[in-house]
Amino acid sequence: MNLSVLDGRDGRKIIGDLADYHLLIQEQPKAKNVAIYDTFDWRLFEKSLLLYGAENELILHSLSDYKIVRRTKVDSLPGFAWEFPDGDLKSLLAPILEMRRLLKLTEFRSLFTIYRILNKEQKTVVKLFYEEICRVAQEQTLCVHLHVEPVRGYPRYYRKTVDRLEKMGFVQINPKTMYFDVLKESDKTPGEYSSKLRLQLEPNMRSDEATKIILRSLLRTMKANENYIIEDLDTEFLHDFRVAIRRTRIVLGQIKRVFPADTTKKFQRDFAILGKLSNELRDLDVCLLKENPYKKMVPESLREEINPLFLFLNDKRSKVLEDFKNSLCSAEYSKAVRKWEDFLNEPLAESPTAPNATVPISELARKRIHKRYTEILKTGAQPSETANDHRLHALRIECKKLRYLMEFFFSLFPRRKISRLIKELKSLQDNLGDFNDLCIQRAYLRKTVDELPISGHQAKKTTLAIGSLIGRLEEQTQTAKGSFSEIFTRFASPTNRGLYHELFVATKGKASP
Amino acid sequence: MNILGIYSNKGGVGKTTAAVNLSFLAAEAGLKTLVCDLDPQSAASFYFRVKPKLKRNAMGFRKGGKNIARSIKGTDYENLDILPADFTHRNLASTFNKLKRRKRRLNRILDPLRPEYNLIVLDCPPSISLLAENIFNVADYLLVPVIPTTLSVRSHLQLLTFLKKKNYAKDNIFAFFSLVDRRKKMHKELMATISREFKGILHNSIPSLSNIERMGIEREPVQAFAPTSVAAKSYRKLWQEVDETLLD
Repeated sequence: MNLSVLDGRDGRKIIGDLADYHLLIQEQPKAKNVAIYDTFDWRLFEKSLLLYGAENELILHSLSDYKIVRRTKVDSLPGFAWEFPDGDLKSLLAPILEMRRLLKLTEFRSLFTIYRILNKEQKTVVKLFYEEICRVAQEQTLCVHLHVEPVRGYPRYYRKTVDRLEKMGFVQINPKTMYFDVLKESDKTPGEYSSKLRLQLEPNMRSDEATKIILRSLLRTMKANENYIIEDLDTEFLHDFRVAIRRTRIVLGQIKRVFPADTTKKFQRDFAILGKLSNELRDLDVCLLKENPYKKMVPESLREEINPLFLFLNDKRSKVLEDFKNSLCSAEYSKAVRKWEDFLNEPLAESPTAPNATVPISELARKRIHKRYTEILKTGAQPSETANDHRLHALRIECKKLRYLMEFFFSLFPRRKISRLIKELKSLQDNLGDFNDLCIQRAYLRKTVDELPISGHQAKKTTLAIGSLIGRLEEQTQTAKGSFSEIFTRFASPTNRGLYHELFVATKGKASP
Repeated sequence: MNILGIYSNKGGVGKTTAAVNLSFLAAEAGLKTLVCDLDPQSAASFYFRVKPKLKRNAMGFRKGGKNIARSIKGTDYENLDILPADFTHRNLASTFNKLKRRKRRLNRILDPLRPEYNLIVLDCPPSISLLAENIFNVADYLLVPVIPTTLSVRSHLQLLTFLKKKNYAKDNIFAFFSLVDRRKKMHKELMATISREFKGILHNSIPSLSNIERMGIEREPVQAFAPTSVAAKSYRKLWQEVDETLLD
């Protein structure tokens, strides 16, 4: 049970008053600085978890009941999951954090006191964990938290204690409320950033207005990630930044004729250039993130020989990152972004020249999504013998366009039905994505072999190791290609087609989220 | 998950103090631990300040299930629970004797608790009865305190003979010396002889110390009221050896 004290009441005094009813023991209060951690995209919060560190210990709490899930001693704060000491906490956090770095969200001072209620045998029957939270180096208490913990086998004492505390001025709180309160002091709102789109559009909204809402949201994502790319905290800041650019390009290319043609063309050009600037950096990130799985693919006898490749890639990444940072800090970039921002903030023209500008967005959305879907069916339905790399690559791009369109316009359609379609599309995309990634990585490795600054005997051994890796990647490419047909058949099933028709063609399925 | 029976067919050898202190150390090391007090004298329950009372007494214990789960009490220490004894435990052997599969009744009672705990420590009463056979069947390991005196060694020998006669495996029987007085020449000599002649004798022993006797006054494990004492250190060493040698 989690409680907080009503305004103006003294929590300590109230707990002290419990001594009128029971034998109450107060342990020595402990003051410590506590820091809260999460990733930039709130991965722990999204899983209802709270990670905090105090005095060389990291403690993971559940935010739903405030129970301790895992704890571990650390010498220094691990940035990434793989830097945690081996154990339960690491194995629980690794799949949640993946490649994201933990950031310190806030730090506060905690004055923590344990009280114990004893029975006649002087046995502890209820534990009270009382915490006063203040800003670091300040006296004033920001909030008070009391966690009442029952001791197994003594439920009556627990119930009576909670009743008494509530009568004397404590109120029940949700631990999440306290989390929000503490972070509010550092101007942070849990869950405020997500790489997922969270747009709320109205079906009858003008298309140019709705499109600008989407684009403004994407610009916010770009800006949110910019500084962290420069700090190089983890690879996903760049990834989210690039996805925002790609989505912007797809908005400009797919939501057609909502802005004047020359304006659209000009910004499409700007974003194409901006997208290309970080292509190599992202390729390097992908390769380096896969260092361990790649090493496992190489026969054990050659595993050490592949190290020069990763040393080279790491070195190269530093240089490529510097170039990209310079581009981000350049006057041209600032100017391009400012122009884009000015355009997005311009008031809507009363009588716009673009033909689709005033068309209701739901109408345009249905048209565009249906168009993309039929294109995919056409491309994908060609006989499987022609499932060549080029066609699969084209299909991947088509799918990406469709996926983004459905995500932009998610709020305009019945949630459950569009979610189902996105899920089906996602499994097709995963297959095509795997295929494409494998092709790119193979090509990238082949290209890199020529650039490696090594020679002689070592060069031969490293080339051999890279060759065997490319061989394994080739096998995986064929597996991905082999499963395409089955996945595509599911995607193009009559049920799925019917649902696309219902949502995006038939008048009955008109926007009713 | 392990069930560790602290057993001896002789009384007053330090079973309960070992059960209480070893389970405290296991819990402190992060193992979710349950002490199961099977002795009607209920000394382990007394040390943890828990009333020796079970829901529906021996009948409830015999049936297991919810009655057992409801009888478990949290101790004052993190990760450490106790299933208290009940005075009706004095009749446990005869209660089991009336039932089917009488030698495996404890398995039926304790097996459902295995998923919840990493370690269950049994504080056993001193007898070689049907209850003892239940203990031999349910425990993954038996830990026997042996005082380095002739009578205590004779009892240990009796136990080993009994186990052999009844075809119980002897590989999971371990012993440690308890209530050792190093000033006594006889203790030292007997310890040397026994360590040489018996298998499964642990290296670490528990001396005879006033702090261990004080547990009855403090009603706490010795680690809790005298963590730096020789007694506490001895149990810590014994726990480390038990953890490394016996437990999975």
